[in-house]
Amino acid sequence: MIAQLLTLIRREFWEHRSIWVTPLAIGILVTLGVMAMLVFASGFAKELDLAIFGAQNLTGDNERRIGLILFFLGTSWIFLIALAFLIVFYTLDSLYTERKDKSILFWRSLPVTDAETVVSKLLTAVFVLPLIMCAGIFVTHLINLILTSIWVAAKGGAAGALIWGSVPIIDTWLFTLVVVISGAIWMSPFIGWFLLVSAWTKRMPLLVAFMPIIVVPLLEWIVFRTRFFASAVGERNDNLPIFRGMDVEDFFEDKEWMHSIQELRLLEFLDIGKFLTHPETWLGIIVCGLLTTAAIYVRRFRDES
Amino acid sequence: MTSLVTARGVSKHFGSVRAVDDVSFEIDRGRILGLIGPNGAGKTTLLKALLGLTDCEGDLSVLGLDPFRQRKKLMQNICFIADVAVLPRWIKVRQLLDYVEGVHPNFSRKSAETYLTQTQIRPESKVRELSKGMVTQLHLCIIMAIDAKLLVLDEPTLGLDILFRKEFYANLLNDYFDEERTILVTTHQVEEIENLLTDIMFINDGKILLDSTMDALSDTYVEVMATGEDAQRARGLGPIAETEMFGKSVMLFEGVSREHLEGLGEIRIPSVADLFVAKIKEARK
Repeated sequence: MIAQLLTLIRREFWEHRSIWVTPLAIGILVTLGVMAMLVFASGFAKELDLAIFGAQNLTGDNERRIGLILFFLGTSWIFLIALAFLIVFYTLDSLYTERKDKSILFWRSLPVTDAETVVSKLLTAVFVLPLIMCAGIFVTHLINLILTSIWVAAKGGAAGALIWGSVPIIDTWLFTLVVVISGAIWMSPFIGWFLLVSAWTKRMPLLVAFMPIIVVPLLEWIVFRTRFFASAVGERNDNLPIFRGMDVEDFFEDKEWMHSIQELRLLEFLDIGKFLTHPETWLGIIVCGLLTTAAIYVRRFRDES
Repeated sequence: MTSLVTARGVSKHFGSVRAVDDVSFEIDRGRILGLIGPNGAGKTTLLKALLGLTDCEGDLSVLGLDPFRQRKKLMQNICFIADVAVLPRWIKVRQLLDYVEGVHPNFSRKSAETYLTQTQIRPESKVRELSKGMVTQLHLCIIMAIDAKLLVLDEPTLGLDILFRKEFYANLLNDYFDEERTILVTTHQVEEIENLLTDIMFINDGKILLDSTMDALSDTYVEVMATGEDAQRARGLGPIAETEMFGKSVMLFEGVSREHLEGLGEIRIPSVADLFVAKIKEARK
């Protein structure tokens, strides 16, 4: 059972090379950017400060720590935007291309049920893709920390203290991992919807998937003068119920936090219990389950001839 | 029980069109059955019902299983190659073997690799880099490495040249077929496979026109080439079909004994293709 599931997920890696090419490409770009910055920093008097991820006058421990955390979260953010696009394109493609290239009958000639196939694609979208992207983030961070350490050490700086001593590495990574996985679960109704569109549409899955998200609120407004659908979709996008009443953007602007920055733990701002007990988390999982079931039903009962 | 497939009153309709119309038949273990019919006769729909790819009315049992509701279990013991079931073009040969090995309990990777060494196909090639003949060869190598009880072939050699077609059926007979295995094949090139078949079934407009063993076929159907008065006398015996060839009348008889026909002209066993054409014309009268 598990071995078969792993085979099905491996298959997704073979077919959708973007699953691993995307994080690799972003990792390379970020690394090249950091290397360019290090070279650029050489032209300035305060090159050591600059080298610690580009912020000037980061001589204090707190400022340096903030600079490094911002570098961590900033680069993670690039990966996560790419992840969102990757999930959309992957799910829309996953049950559409096999019908378009007519390989579906080959896949169905093997002892794998439609449910197993669709669920393997759902698990890939909700868990595997985010995990691969997180791995990409972590490896990129490590490589860049090592590169910067080498550079700082070459300039006579104490890389151990300046870089590694300032980085809350495990804390930031765990924070990223929890936010990414809970975010993917939170957005799973959309993933279920994309799978259904992918299994069902005859052409242009991207257009078919996003059309209702634009047209339904418009129709609702014209007919009923209400905005329930738009606010439901909008709120889903904005309100991941895992943060402990904190706005991440405001956090770093608040000077009070500066003093206790060395004790700062990003994980403390996450409330996994709140996420797991939030009714809308479970409502989302149920909606995702229903849409995925519909995708299985369409794949099973549609006659492709 | 030697019956591998049992169909009783099986029907499948799409709207008002009856693609398969109340058919009943049995397929025994260790047979090679040819399912012959014109385009749109219901062959593919019937095969899909047997493979559990589509639901149908009536009682259909394959290996003692309900194909639609027990498809996963069924697929462990059935293989199929359909012209439309193409291998994904993006996959590498090695990945394909990895995949089948990972999902199919009855697949022997070693056998598949042995078969592949007899071809020009390399493990690192992608399917899109192979010719159509090689793709079919690859598919056959995989199928032959699966220990299945029933192999369903739907126009497996369509679009292949004569060399590949001959090789395909030779491999199938020499390396695959034995008395424990059963093959169900549909093809338009019936003359290429009629010598392989043990049984034959004609289907037209969703109905079975003929269901017979090849041995019984030669006892039941006789063809006579006659001229002049002999032809006239033969015509009196009620042929099911008559054509003209080189100035002679070629008449096909069903259930008329050879003794009655001897002396009227040259007697021979009709080809499956001729019999098929005669049966279709008879049905359309």
